[in-house]
Amino acid sequence: MKKLVAILLIGFLVLFMAGCGQSDAPKQGEAQQPEEKKIDFPTKPVTMIVPWAAGGGTDAVARGLSKAAEEFLGQTITVNNITGGGGAVGFGSGLSAQPDGYTVTMITFELISLPPQGLVPFTYKDYDLLMRVNMDPAALTVHKDAPYNTLEEFIQYAKENPGKISVGNSGPGSVWHIAAGLFAEKAGIELNNVPYDGAAPAVTALVGNHIGAVTVSPAEVQGQVEAGDLKMLAVMSEERLANFPDVPTFKELGYDVAFGTWRGLAVPKGTPEEVRTILADAFKKAYDTETFQTFAKNSGLGLAYLNADDFKAYLDQASVDVAEVMKALGLAK
Amino acid sequence: MDLGLFIDGLVNILQINTLLLIIAGVIGGIMIGALPGLTATMGVALLVPFTFGLPVEQGVSMLLGIFCGAMYGGSISAILIRTPGTPSAAATLLDGYPLAQKGEAGRALSMSIFASFCGGMISFIMMVILSPQISKFALNFSAPEYFALAVFGLSIIISVSGNSVLKGIMAGVFGLMIASIGLDPVSGFPRFTFGFMNLFEGPPFIPTLIGLFAFSEVFKGVEKIVTQAKVEAKITRLLPSRADIKKCWKTIVKSSILGSFIGSIPGAGGDIAAFVGYSEAKRTSKNPENFGKGEIQGVAAAEAGNNGCTGGAMIPLLSLGVPGDAVTAVLLGAFIMQGIRPGPLLYRDHIDVVYSIFAGLMIANICLLICGLLGIRFFARIISINRNILLPVIFVLSIVGSYAMRNSLFDVWFALLFGIIGYFMQRYDFPASPILLALILGPMAESNLRRALIVSQGDYSVFITRPICAVLLFLALLSLITSTIRQLRLQKKMRQEASL
Repeated sequence: MKKLVAILLIGFLVLFMAGCGQSDAPKQGEAQQPEEKKIDFPTKPVTMIVPWAAGGGTDAVARGLSKAAEEFLGQTITVNNITGGGGAVGFGSGLSAQPDGYTVTMITFELISLPPQGLVPFTYKDYDLLMRVNMDPAALTVHKDAPYNTLEEFIQYAKENPGKISVGNSGPGSVWHIAAGLFAEKAGIELNNVPYDGAAPAVTALVGNHIGAVTVSPAEVQGQVEAGDLKMLAVMSEERLANFPDVPTFKELGYDVAFGTWRGLAVPKGTPEEVRTILADAFKKAYDTETFQTFAKNSGLGLAYLNADDFKAYLDQASVDVAEVMKALGLAK
Repeated sequence: MDLGLFIDGLVNILQINTLLLIIAGVIGGIMIGALPGLTATMGVALLVPFTFGLPVEQGVSMLLGIFCGAMYGGSISAILIRTPGTPSAAATLLDGYPLAQKGEAGRALSMSIFASFCGGMISFIMMVILSPQISKFALNFSAPEYFALAVFGLSIIISVSGNSVLKGIMAGVFGLMIASIGLDPVSGFPRFTFGFMNLFEGPPFIPTLIGLFAFSEVFKGVEKIVTQAKVEAKITRLLPSRADIKKCWKTIVKSSILGSFIGSIPGAGGDIAAFVGYSEAKRTSKNPENFGKGEIQGVAAAEAGNNGCTGGAMIPLLSLGVPGDAVTAVLLGAFIMQGIRPGPLLYRDHIDVVYSIFAGLMIANICLLICGLLGIRFFARIISINRNILLPVIFVLSIVGSYAMRNSLFDVWFALLFGIIGYFMQRYDFPASPILLALILGPMAESNLRRALIVSQGDYSVFITRPICAVLLFLALLSLITSTIRQLRLQKKMRQEASL
C-alpha cells in the first residue's frame, strides 16, 4: 500500500514538472539546416521568452509562431512564460540571456512605455531586433446610448464639457491609456482617464454605461459592437480595418493619430549577424505559413510584418512619441 | 430555456469520445487543482491549444471539465496537507484540515466532493434559467459597487479570526499593508518595491499562500516529526452519511446560490465566494464555536461556494462576452480561436453551441462527482504516510509550486519568507486567513475606491446614492458589528470553559 502512495506522489511530482513548462525538449542529435550556412546554428533547442502569462494574447501569438517556425529551424522551440512587472521581468531576463541566438524574446509595446516611467534600466536599444509580427490599433468606442455618433460630435461634446467624459483604459501607462492621451492632445480636448485592471473590465464598465468611452483595440470590443451595445466612432490605424469597413480612421477625419500596440521578436544585443539572419528567415517563413495566417485571422490579430531595419525605424519614432505623451499625462519622470 | 434544444445539446455531448475528453479533463483538472501552484487558469490555458483541432462542443466541454475538476481538486490538498491547491480552496482548509487531523479525512473529502457537485449543479441550473436576468444585474456593478463588495468581504475577517478578534484584525492589517506593495493602480508609481521588478504587480499571491500555509506547516511539523503519531484515515463510505447531508444541505444550497452570484460578477471569483459562503454558514450556525475546529458545515459551505462560481462565471461570458474571472477569460480566447464570439449574438447565431455548453457543464459536474468519489480512498492514503516522508515531499512540492507560477526563483524566496512569518504566526496563535482575505480584497478595495472617485470627479456621495453600493456597505457594517459581538461572546464562553 505504501508503495502505491509513493508512486502516486512521484507521479504528482513528475506531472508538476511537466506543468511548469520547463520540461526539456528532446534533444536532436543532428541539426537539419534549411540552407547551407557558414555557421552551424541551431544545434540545440531554442527558447522563446514570453513576458506575459500562458493563455493571453501574446502567449498565443508566440506559441503559434514558434510552432510553425520549428519546421524551418529544424529544432524544437520551447516557450517560457516569464511574467511579472508588466512585462519588465521577462524583458529583463531576455536581455540577460547569452547573445547566441538560443534565447529569443517576444517583445511588446510595454518595452517602450516602461523606460519613460523610470521603472526599468533598459530600452529597446539593448536588443537586436528580428522582426515586428503584429500591430493592433486603438479604437474610440462609446455606449450605444451616448449622445454622440461621430468623432466630430464626440470632440464637440468634450470641448463643451472639458474633463467630463470618462475614458476607460487597461491600466496606468498602458498602451490604451497612452492612446487616449495622444487623441486628447491632437484634438485639443480634456478627457477624464480611468485606469482598469486590463481591457476587459474597462469594456464591461462601458457596456454597463458607467463610463463614457474606451480606447482599446477593435478585437476587444468586436462582440459588443456587432451586437449593437457599443458603437465604434473611429480607429487609429493607417487604413480602414477589414472587420469594420464602415468605421473611419482618425487620419481621414483630419486627426493625425495612428497608434496601437505591437509585438515583435528580438535577441540580446551582440548576437552574431548570421545567427540573426537564420532566425529572422525561419520566423518570417513561419509567419507566412497558412496555419499562422489562419490563426491570426481567427483571433482578430492585425498582422503587420516589418523587417529588422524597418522595425527599428518604427520604434525610434514610436518611443519618442510615447515618451512625450506620457509626460503630458504625468506618467513620465 | 428550450428543452428541445437542451436535449439536442445533450445528445451532442453524450458521445463516447466527448465523454472521454470530459473525463480526461476532470481528472486532469483534479490533479492540477490538487497541486499547489497550478491553478485552474493555468490548466485551462495550457490545454487550449490542444482543443483547436476538436469540434467546438468537445473542446469547450473538455475545458469546462478541467475548470470544475480544478475547483474541487484544490480542496484535496487543503484538507490533507493544509496546502490550498488553488486560492479558491483557502477557506476549505479552515475546517477541512482539523477534520483530517481528527482522522476524519474521508468524511471531509466526501463532503467536499458532494458539496462541489451540488454547487456546480445549482449554479448550472441558475445559468440555464436566469442567465439574462443575472447578467443584467451584474452590469450594474461598477467601481463603487466593487469597492463596497470588497469592504463587505473584508468584514469577514472578524469571523475567521479564531480565538482572538484583536489578533485577527492585526493579521488583517498586516495583510493590507503587504497588499499595498507594487505599482500604484492609478498613477503607476512603484510603492515599496525596493527596485525589485518582481514586486511591480504586488506580492505574488500563490507563493504567499504556499508560504503562509504549506511551509509554515512543514516547519511546525519538523518540531515533532519523531513524536507525532501518524494520523489514520478511516474510510468507511464514499458518499457523506445521511446525518451529514441532513446537517449541511441548507448550507450547501445557500452557499451555491451565493457562489453563482459572486461568480457572475466580473472580477470576483471562487476565492471570494468560498469565504463569503463560509462566513454566512458560520453566522447562521447554531454552534459557531465549532467552526475552525473541524466543522463539516464549514467544508460544505466553502466548496459549494467555489464550485458555484463555475456556472456563475459562464453567465457574463456567454451572454455579454465579458469574462467573469481569470479562467473564463482564457475560455473567451478559446472560443474566439474556434471562430465563435461569445456575447449577445451568440444566442442568436449559435444557439446550438450555447446549449451544448450547458449540457457539457452538466455532464462535467456528473463526471466530477464520480471521479471524485472513486478517488477518495486513493487521496486519503496520503495522510497515512509516515510524517518523515510526507513532510519533505510537501516541502519540495511547495518549492516547485511557488516557482511554477511565474518560473521565478524570486517567488520561491518570497514563499520561504512567508513560511517563516506563517510559522511564528501559528506559534503565537495568530490566524493566517485574514492575511489572505486582505491580499485578495485590499487591492480590489483600493483601486475601485480610487476609480469610483475618478469617475465621479471626487464626489463621495456615489457610495450612498447608488442603491446596490449602499446596501452592500450597510451589510458590511452590520456584519462587522454582529460578528464582533458574537465573536467576543464566544471568546468569553471559551475562556469560562477553559477555567472550569
